[in-house]
Amino acid sequence: MSEALETRLGPLVLRNPIVPASGTFGYGLEFTDFVDLSKLGAFCTKGLSLEPHAGNPPPRICETPAGMLNAIGLQNVGVKVFVEEKLPRLRELGATVIANVWGDAEDDYVAVVGALEGVKDVAAVELNISCPNVEKGGMLFGNSPSATASLVSRVRAATRRTLVVKLSPNAPDLVLSARAARDAGADVLSLVNTFVGMAIDPVTARPRLSFGTGGLSGPAIKPLALRMVFQVARALPGVPIMGIGGISDLSDVLEFLAAGASAVQIGTANFRDPGICGRLVDELAAHCRERHTAVAELVGRAQRSKEPGGEAGAEG
Amino acid sequence: MLEVAGRLRPYLRRAYSMADADPDSGEVEFLVRTIGPGTAALEDLAEGSAASLLGPLGNGFSLDGLGAGARVAVVAGGIGAAPFPLLFRAFRAKGIRGDLYLGGRNAAELDFRARFEGVGAVETVLATDDGSLGAKGFVTDAFARGAAAASPSYERVYSCGPMPMFAALARVVERVAVPAEFSTEAAMGCGFGACLGCVIPGTEKPFVISCLEGPILPPGKIAWEKVR
Repeated sequence: MSEALETRLGPLVLRNPIVPASGTFGYGLEFTDFVDLSKLGAFCTKGLSLEPHAGNPPPRICETPAGMLNAIGLQNVGVKVFVEEKLPRLRELGATVIANVWGDAEDDYVAVVGALEGVKDVAAVELNISCPNVEKGGMLFGNSPSATASLVSRVRAATRRTLVVKLSPNAPDLVLSARAARDAGADVLSLVNTFVGMAIDPVTARPRLSFGTGGLSGPAIKPLALRMVFQVARALPGVPIMGIGGISDLSDVLEFLAAGASAVQIGTANFRDPGICGRLVDELAAHCRERHTAVAELVGRAQRSKEPGGEAGAEG
Repeated sequence: MLEVAGRLRPYLRRAYSMADADPDSGEVEFLVRTIGPGTAALEDLAEGSAASLLGPLGNGFSLDGLGAGARVAVVAGGIGAAPFPLLFRAFRAKGIRGDLYLGGRNAAELDFRARFEGVGAVETVLATDDGSLGAKGFVTDAFARGAAAASPSYERVYSCGPMPMFAALARVVERVAVPAEFSTEAAMGCGFGACLGCVIPGTEKPFVISCLEGPILPPGKIAWEKVR
């Protein structure tokens, strides 16, 4: 792959900006039939906790127009099993690994990040402070700028790795949360996680998900997520952003780059088309070749264009 | 103002068992009952339309350990019968003697039953909730009676159908002590273990991942009392 695709996210340099999102790409190994992991910019693991976690009872997912709701509840094998059983294979496959981590309390986050310290071949840690599907932790840290600041600064003190913080679109003011994360030491911001939503069986009048509510993802949220990326990029220039939200094709990728994201995460689209991320790398390469451009030039183009107008241009 | 029928739904793929497959021609066949937006979209496809297939995924029914002359039973609920003509042909190739128990709400729901003609079922027992075809009542009860009377007894039971039918059948097979393979039904987001959406409450661990560890599972691995 050419240098035209290379992208810089603070201290982290990725070979291209295409990154499968946490929770939609398993531990990467589920996708080896469909995509060459070494071809991707990186990939975000399923959210890892210190101990294995069972997740929520079914039903956990529900299709909605142009997307889906999920309340998986962060089922995962735990950081120890990940490091011992999954990571060696990922290393062989040449994957660039971003370890997504979560916990119930600040101490849990610090502990799981601590468990990854000194582990080779983890390119960055992504803090999930935005999961809407757990009773404790998760989104609670993302919904209050002071809680975000407190958690991020504690984790910052515990690791020298590139620290990515994944923010919640459900926060009352995303720009405030983003600023709190940056000021507390985040190197990169991932935005956005899923929007809290709901579906009800019209016959039984019961929620379709056992958790009651779930996180909405897929093309349905793309314009909302794009606006948030644009807004944070405008309010906090220079903060590297990974844009997430319903990205399903090359034009979506280009839109998020233009809005100010230096990389994009592909989520729900991996479910219906597990080969999509590899194909997007090829399509983006062809785009750059044909247009004689490079990813670095594509990032933030919409920020440089004339007054965008409307609320998107307003700070915070 | 023109509109092409919207494609906002379905967004996800749908999981189906293959109703037939011809390795020589490369053709596969699916039996689909239209019940929601996913199946409706498939039904709307015109002949010759392209569709994208991801598969085969997951495990299959196993004939391991069954010799010629072994007696087995197939218990199918409604459209869950789809994969079984293919299984009966596999029985025939190994000289396994299979009985078919086919149940549904009414005769109309079993309108595909002609697909089982000539597949080599030794006995075919039909049951409908309203009695419009075969015995009146649940197919699981019909199977319980058949299993009690079967001589020699069944060495294995294969089943596919809705979860409530499985829950009832799980009790029967435990009582008659016949090993069973259930092709489980769970809404799947991806089909290959990435989304973890299709889990079923388990007995050996909190959840069994249907697409990855199944979809064909022994009923003993499932915590039926927790299945919603």
